[in-house]
Amino acid sequence: MSSRSTETTPSRRPRAFGRRELMKKGLTGAAALGALSMAGACDSMYTSGSNGRAKIRVWTWYTQQRDEWPRLVDEFQQAHPTIEVENRLFGNTNAYLPALQAAVSAGDPPDVFGPHVLAVTYGQAGISADLRKELGADFLADFVQSTNDAYSDGDKQYAVGWMAQMFGIFYDPEVFRRASVDVPETWDDLIEAVRRIRTATRLEGCVVRNIPGTAGLDFLLPLVTQITGDPKLMIDIDHQRGGAKWTHPAVVEAMRHVRGMIEGGTISPGPNGIAQPQDERLLYAGEAAMLYSGSWIPQDFAQSAPPEFVRRYRVMKTPAWAAGQRHWTANQAGAGLAVSDVSRNKEAALEFLRFIYQRDRYARTMNDSRSMPSTKSAGQLVQDPVMREMTQWLLDGDGAPHILFGKGSSAAASNAFAGVVGGQLSPESAAETIQSRVEAAARR
Amino acid sequence: MAVLTAPAQREQAPPARRGPAARRRTAGYLFILPIVVFFAFFVGYPLVRSLYLSLTQWSGYGRPKFVGLLNFSQLLGDPVFWQALRTTLIFTASTMILQTALPMLLAVFLHRGWKGSVVFRTLLFVPAVISLVVTGVLWQLMYDSKFGALNGVLRAFGLGGLAHDWLADPVTVIPALILVSVWQTLGLYLVIFLAGLQGIDPTLYEAARIDGAGGRQQFFHITVPMLRRVTSVVLVLNMMNGLKTFDLIFVMTGGGPNHGSEVLGTYLYGLAFGSGAGATPALGYATAISMVVLVLCMVGTVVQLRLSKRG
Repeated sequence: MSSRSTETTPSRRPRAFGRRELMKKGLTGAAALGALSMAGACDSMYTSGSNGRAKIRVWTWYTQQRDEWPRLVDEFQQAHPTIEVENRLFGNTNAYLPALQAAVSAGDPPDVFGPHVLAVTYGQAGISADLRKELGADFLADFVQSTNDAYSDGDKQYAVGWMAQMFGIFYDPEVFRRASVDVPETWDDLIEAVRRIRTATRLEGCVVRNIPGTAGLDFLLPLVTQITGDPKLMIDIDHQRGGAKWTHPAVVEAMRHVRGMIEGGTISPGPNGIAQPQDERLLYAGEAAMLYSGSWIPQDFAQSAPPEFVRRYRVMKTPAWAAGQRHWTANQAGAGLAVSDVSRNKEAALEFLRFIYQRDRYARTMNDSRSMPSTKSAGQLVQDPVMREMTQWLLDGDGAPHILFGKGSSAAASNAFAGVVGGQLSPESAAETIQSRVEAAARR
Repeated sequence: MAVLTAPAQREQAPPARRGPAARRRTAGYLFILPIVVFFAFFVGYPLVRSLYLSLTQWSGYGRPKFVGLLNFSQLLGDPVFWQALRTTLIFTASTMILQTALPMLLAVFLHRGWKGSVVFRTLLFVPAVISLVVTGVLWQLMYDSKFGALNGVLRAFGLGGLAHDWLADPVTVIPALILVSVWQTLGLYLVIFLAGLQGIDPTLYEAARIDGAGGRQQFFHITVPMLRRVTSVVLVLNMMNGLKTFDLIFVMTGGGPNHGSEVLGTYLYGLAFGSGAGATPALGYATAISMVVLVLCMVGTVVQLRLSKRG
């Protein structure tokens, strides 16, 4: 007995915290931490929020409505106490797209999201829902047709427009008065007007920007519709449908037209070196007579331009290809909203969409952020005078495609067009380059 | 009796203890286990996974489709890839030379300890603490064709004819980017060379002076050979930074105009994530490009280290 007790005593003595113990406890702790973080990660994959409410995640980069989104979410949650909305607003597409791509790759896309140019691609892959089926044709009928077309593939539609865009030429009427020129109706009129303005005032003519990336396509692509009078052609070329190719004569002609206007001085030199803040400043600082740009300009000018300029500037329609023809101009809503087709709370996400698009609520959101609405009913309620005028063009149906959604189209066209603008590529070789790169992208 | 007691004694005997060397070895393995696990999880697995993805056709959703070496064969026929590779190599070679030679020469001058050298050291180091993204935005404003400071200065000195769209012209865009890279990294490599110079025994210079060696001879016959290891490190760092360059170019030009400043990093990023130009994701293909970058880095580093050892 005594010998036993002698043997057992040392083992009962409190032991020092040894190396082995440290290892054991460290590994156990690490495993516990890992398990906790895994649990946290798993939690984010479930779509039920706190208190058993259905949770939907809304991802956009639409900072124009930085103040409006939280208000919309609050109103929605008050009206739908069983649904929780997590609103995530990214600063720009460079931050947004990788995050969206990662979420999609993980099989866990946000319930409601801005699809950027991938709306149709995601729809075809079964990631975004067919909203024509989910929301009904009546709901979609209120949207401007051209934006519906942009998100459609056959009889399916994978997103709806959120902020529409309508492009026009902003100008200083005082400069026009000094040069004794009228608002031009056709491109030939514009070329002549710039010649006279440059002689009389020594100002640059019309500013067109081509950075970053796709900006120049806003100017180029509607010209294809102007030449053909068929807004569907550009969409068919984009998606390589019905045998339509980038080498179409209208595409080549449109690029030749732009190149000619650069060489002739109608378009201010160096579009490849002009970004948005510069192009606006060139107009209001009195260095150029005109600026081709979009319907976000009233907001920008109100914030940055001299007050006297803000009072006197005007906007004109994009010139027509020939007298009496339609003034087709860029108007697709690149800023749209899609719903995840794999969401467990798809019904809640669709309900959120129905709620935010209710006429008065949607019109208020657009008016408060000086954004252009994508629905006809909200278009009747626009308050800003310049925005109201441009929205009327949208409602008149002068919108032409200017955002490319087809696989590889956007990158290929924007780069080749930069080559045309810079004089490194002829219109013909640029068209062939785009076509070959789009075909290569389809094989990847 | 003895027969009865012997087994009992064997049962009571303590288990055979391992020797101190074996215990030390086990403890050693346990100590490196966390970093091995960390490395395997965060480096090894992504590497193997990337290798697999480079052999697949994958848009980033759905199941990757195994296509063998198809991505690599498509790379061979992709003119943008070759342009990006060429630009990457030009950028890397230029920055390797400039970002090694300039800091070394400046370090030699500043090491002499003349009056004001501390101020210059500080001024030259300041760009190194500015993030590359901020640097890119600042220089983008400097290069602005209409309102930028560079063209403004040229016009102010009556050299308006030299004013240029620096970032919009495929001829000038890469030199313009290289200049920014050199400006940004000068301070960091300067500090490395200054540290290297402080390690050179001053008696070598004294002996050389006694033997009648001039400044140039001292530089080429003492400074350069004694800085061989430091130079080697700087060259390897520059080479790897050049081959995987991305942020500066992404911020300043996005790879444009018309791929004029496209490097492998910006090209693969655009293919992987779409980016502002709206490219459709092709993650499998982008991963194949990342494998090319990896191989280039490995080959370049091995060659560089071999050369420096031989030297």
